[in-house]
Amino acid sequence: MSEWMKKSPLEWQDYVYKEVRVVASEKKEYKGWLVTTDPVSANIVLVTFLEDGSLSVTGVMGHSVQTVEVVSEGDHKVREKLMRLFTSVDCEGYSP
Amino acid sequence: KVPEVGGEGRIQDPPELQEQRARAALRERYLRSLLAMVGHPVSFTLHEGVHVTAQFGATDLDVANFYVSQLQTPIGVQAEALLRCSDIISYSFKL
Repeated sequence: MSEWMKKSPLEWQDYVYKEVRVVASEKKEYKGWLVTTDPVSANIVLVTFLEDGSLSVTGVMGHSVQTVEVVSEGDHKVREKLMRLFTSVDCEGYSP
Repeated sequence: KVPEVGGEGRIQDPPELQEQRARAALRERYLRSLLAMVGHPVSFTLHEGVHVTAQFGATDLDVANFYVSQLQTPIGVQAEALLRCSDIISYSFKL
């Protein structure tokens, strides 16, 4: 079991809304804004903002997470965007 | 048990309540992220450099399997399939 899976919900929460670099199995690397970590599976959800205004959402499975490193603490603007995401049924608003 | 008073004179919740609250918030947001994924084409990165795409349908409560449809594999299209989450490194989709 990886270090990441053993963390407590409060430790996982410290990473929320921060920009992180995740190294996973087979040397795969992912960078994005961390929106949440599932407390059951330790799966990480990362979001990146694309140039065309859409969003790319990536889930990294908890069992394959090796390291998580904070790249940037973020700011209010990003935080507000991320807070609205997935908080209610209005996530339809992001569909084309 | 009397709640402890924080440094700023605020009454702080006991640690187990704070932890439970964090767990609930993280879990709810994760479930909503799965809800947002339903019906979207999702690309999955599996072990050994295998990539497949499929329409996401559902998952079980411990997130052990993903139920998908129209799974595009290197050897053809599977109408319905269960992907074992232990075989998956990551998944991604656009919103």
